[in-house]
Amino acid sequence: MKKPWQFVAVSGIVAFATLAFAQSQEGESPPSAPAVTTVHPIAFPHNTHAGEFKIDCQYCHFSAERSVDAGVPPVSSCMGCHIIIRGRNKPEEVQKLRDYWDRGEPIPWVRIYKVADHVKFPHMRHVAKDAGALECQECHGQVEEIEVIEEVEQPLRMGWCVQCHRDNDASIDCTVCHY
Amino acid sequence: MTDGIKRRDFLKVIGAGGAGATMLGCSTERVEKLLPYVIPDEEITPGVATWYTSVCGECPSGCGVWVRTREGRVVKVEGNPDHPISGGTLCSRGYSSVQGLYNPDRLSSPMLRGADGFSPIGWEEAEELLAQRLRESGNHIFLGGRMGPSLTNLVDDFLSVVGGVRREYEGLSEAPLREATRIAFGRNRLPTFDFAQARLVFSFGADFLETWLSPVEYHRGFAQMAGVDEHGSKGRMVFLAPRLSLTGQNADEWVPLKAGSEAVVALAMAHVIVREGGDAGPYYQRLLEGYDPRSAEEASGVPAEEIEKLAMRFLEEKPSLAVGPGVAGHHRNATAANLAVHILNSVAENVGRTVRLREVDQGAPALPYGELASALSAMAGAGVVMVHGTNPAYSLPSGAGFAEAFASAGFRVSFASAMDETAELADLVLPDRHPLEAWGDSNPRPGLYALQQPAMRPVADFDSKQLGDVLISVSLRLGEELGVGTFFDHLRNRWRRIQAIAAPGQGFDEFWREALRKGVVGLPVRATEVPVPLRSPDAILNFDVPALDGDGEFALVVYPSPRFGDGKHANRPWLQELPDPVSKMAWHSWVEVHPRAADRLEVQNGDLVRVRSPHGLVEVPVWRYPGIREDTVALAMGGGHRSYGRFAQGMGVNAMDLLPAEVEQPSGALVHLATRVSLEPTGDRRRLATIEGSSDQHNRPIAPAVALSALGHGGAGHEEEGHGELKEIQGLGGFAPVPTEGRAEDFPLEGSRYGQYDPEANPRWAMVIDLDKCTGCGICVTACQSENNVPWVGEEQVTMGRDMHWIRMERYFERVDASRAGPLDVRFLPMICQHCGNAPCEPVCPVYAAYHTPEGLNAQVYNRCVGTRYCANNCPYKVRVFNWFGFSDVPQPMNWAFNPDVTVRSSGVMEKCSFCVHRIRVVQNRARVEGQRPVRDGEVVPACQQSCPAEAIVFGDIRDPHSRVAQLTQNERGYRVLDELINTQPAVTYLKKVTFHEVESGEH
Repeated sequence: MKKPWQFVAVSGIVAFATLAFAQSQEGESPPSAPAVTTVHPIAFPHNTHAGEFKIDCQYCHFSAERSVDAGVPPVSSCMGCHIIIRGRNKPEEVQKLRDYWDRGEPIPWVRIYKVADHVKFPHMRHVAKDAGALECQECHGQVEEIEVIEEVEQPLRMGWCVQCHRDNDASIDCTVCHY
Repeated sequence: MTDGIKRRDFLKVIGAGGAGATMLGCSTERVEKLLPYVIPDEEITPGVATWYTSVCGECPSGCGVWVRTREGRVVKVEGNPDHPISGGTLCSRGYSSVQGLYNPDRLSSPMLRGADGFSPIGWEEAEELLAQRLRESGNHIFLGGRMGPSLTNLVDDFLSVVGGVRREYEGLSEAPLREATRIAFGRNRLPTFDFAQARLVFSFGADFLETWLSPVEYHRGFAQMAGVDEHGSKGRMVFLAPRLSLTGQNADEWVPLKAGSEAVVALAMAHVIVREGGDAGPYYQRLLEGYDPRSAEEASGVPAEEIEKLAMRFLEEKPSLAVGPGVAGHHRNATAANLAVHILNSVAENVGRTVRLREVDQGAPALPYGELASALSAMAGAGVVMVHGTNPAYSLPSGAGFAEAFASAGFRVSFASAMDETAELADLVLPDRHPLEAWGDSNPRPGLYALQQPAMRPVADFDSKQLGDVLISVSLRLGEELGVGTFFDHLRNRWRRIQAIAAPGQGFDEFWREALRKGVVGLPVRATEVPVPLRSPDAILNFDVPALDGDGEFALVVYPSPRFGDGKHANRPWLQELPDPVSKMAWHSWVEVHPRAADRLEVQNGDLVRVRSPHGLVEVPVWRYPGIREDTVALAMGGGHRSYGRFAQGMGVNAMDLLPAEVEQPSGALVHLATRVSLEPTGDRRRLATIEGSSDQHNRPIAPAVALSALGHGGAGHEEEGHGELKEIQGLGGFAPVPTEGRAEDFPLEGSRYGQYDPEANPRWAMVIDLDKCTGCGICVTACQSENNVPWVGEEQVTMGRDMHWIRMERYFERVDASRAGPLDVRFLPMICQHCGNAPCEPVCPVYAAYHTPEGLNAQVYNRCVGTRYCANNCPYKVRVFNWFGFSDVPQPMNWAFNPDVTVRSSGVMEKCSFCVHRIRVVQNRARVEGQRPVRDGEVVPACQQSCPAEAIVFGDIRDPHSRVAQLTQNERGYRVLDELINTQPAVTYLKKVTFHEVESGEH
């Protein structure tokens, strides 16, 4: 008796198992930055802006002190400088920015830092001077030294969050972040 | 089953596949985009809510709202505390307006009827077509619901240009009251009623807590009157009607008079008061001589002595107030009945005190059904008939012949935003904007104006256009000028006149910004503070009990639904699933039958019966209801849509099918109490989609009461006693079993170390719910659903008991007697998670998803929960709900209504009331950032407290002895549900209902 559905199903299982094996192999090494550098629509160098020119993080990430979101700079913020500055090293990248501006389009940045939907991370509670008063670098690494932003030093795992909360005598109650 | 899949094989495949999928799911990373604004909106800070004032467009009451938006989209509406009508809260229909905005059944473009049904067309083409039809013919008719004054004005301008008339039709008309006010006092407008000032209210069937006139405002006033104050004083309400509505259930006494006999009873009371020296003027003095209590007894079934007693109390317990009857009581002599109530108020000297008549006249009054009838007969000769904001094809009895009349018009246009029954009959449908995305204004009463401003850009899925802008554009195509380019300009022009009166010294732009910021503008208006004498009537009215059609056994009461009104709100799943406050049923219809009458018919709850009147027939399940006369049955409006989208279509039956299309004279309102019906069991039955476990407390002190006379005597006279101090520490076994004898008092266990309340540095959140104020309306249920992303599950799942509300409004019948006038006692209890200090749900969770926080919350960690449901099994309050089937997967774009501050739970996860922990965190974060200041008492307001018009809920930190919640907890009426039996140490303290009658111990 032919059972075509079984054949399909079994091939499916084989495929899954292969993938699962590959995944688990990868999982054995300690979590680290992905080997492939993320390709952003514009090669924005954080080191040039935050390092060389010492622009404050919150000049661009404008709402970190007063909102749960740090804020992604609007295209108009970039153009505030780049309407004049055409870029020393890579003028072709600045030109991309100007093209987005001319077309009135948002720049589709690739998201690097993300916590899961069931996690609430209020930036202001960590950054504002009356709250955590933490430096951005505590979590995001030495951004001023990195050209292409990557999830550095540590992945955003709960254990890492909790360790910091423990070290700083912050609450480790679940509902501080999960609700 | 030789060829099919064997069960074992199937499970093997599923098991392996499931495992593979899980592994992949954990490590596959999706590339997400982070899109910035091109130019930032100065009003938007990402992650911070922006609030706009506006006007609720759900009914003509005109409540002011605050619209909460996040990143430019509406996520919730709340009442505007500065607005005198809403006073900071809304009704369930108002809270559901975001589901009207994001309703997936809204039209995505204009629709044109062709040979094979509707097809989408563009706005250009549609407007050109309408202009052409308007040009080709004349005698146009615009049939509209109640609109804001500026839009009404623009429509009138438009009609004078194209040649046509405007007719207004609202399914729920208060025309008899307006007409009676005109006859009695010479004021052609609705009076307002001051419930808060009254000490004794007689409601002749006016459902002022749900639908009557201005329910949110009157709800608030009633709660102020009926709640016991610190001096131990409390106003009372007597409900005089054949059926207890929600308002009726909140009364202290019920006089179950015969349907339609309100007028004779009211007049007999006035007769008694005049006999005692009251002044009715010569005309009414003579009239009242014919209505003595003895003759009223015959007509109404209420004993003459009872009427005498009530009348004397109405005279003595000042100030008193009589209201009614409402839409459910609109019978063939409804104007006379309202006039009789006015006479009663007048002889008791209430006019000018609790009944207010305003001086200023405000535009043309609403044209009631009588005008519609003439509009219907004129449709045959009409060129273009336009329908906006009303759905007569559904809400009129079929005998009115709307479909035929509409079909006889030259061209039919509907401005419905979703395909309703009337739009289905139209040639062209031009979808209107939702009030939350359009400009407008409101003038709910003389001198009170508010702007309706769009709180977001129009939802992109729906290519809609506001009526005002369509009319301006069409008139331009006709080569006519309305004087403005957009409706927005028109609105501003009109408001220049308001500014000239309200703020003559101010610049217009400043005035405009201020009006938008505050959400309301008041003009000086003289309200009558002195008694207005009665005028002799200019029409001959008949006060007698009206005749009812047919010879069926039961009088039929058709009442406006507290959830759907006349049916306009039936396409909102939140409202469909909101248990009806009276019957506790959701989604489908039911007929209310007194248990003794049901016994005669030999029908039980859920047995299907054919309800037959001379005008029609519906088949509907029976609900045995002690709060209705034995000779009466009742059906709610709002069900049985044949169209109107996936959530409304086919849900329940349309009660209007049983009614004749008859008009009451002289008001012109549609007659709702018109016919007798017979009930005939079909032999079939269905399971009811009800959330009611029991309407009886089975002798447990769940919702106990205390007699008013027993208050202030140190607790003596309370139904039950003996609650100890609230223990602050909860405990449980932790990771290892702890030896105990298992007695309740052994808990919390020594050495328990997991999930403790920490008294060192934390607040302990607690709540007090005053059951003497709670009216059981269920507004908090909808507000909670909107705030906390609580899913709806549908009729079938409710039938299986899988409803997911975080608040369950319990309703217990303690003393409900439909056979004679007397005390009434219906208890309400909003049951939420009690955040027990010694919670039974916590120790049974194998993964510590249910645990206690250092702030005293009973928390549920969704990402830990694996769905064993042990916690729900162990919860004595049955407040935990389980998401069985991905109920959070809602159709686009309803997901836009999700609150981004609260996790959207997936299937397989247990959830329950969180005490709005996200709101606590928002306040704590704000307090911290603002110089590490402490959180102020009253700063954290959970969604239920925010929404309660009765202000029955108080939330706060019980460790702060000065907090309101700590002080209320000490109230002598305070008790904690089931605590003395099972030592759960709840954080919710209820304050007992206060009754005027003695409460017997056996009557818990």
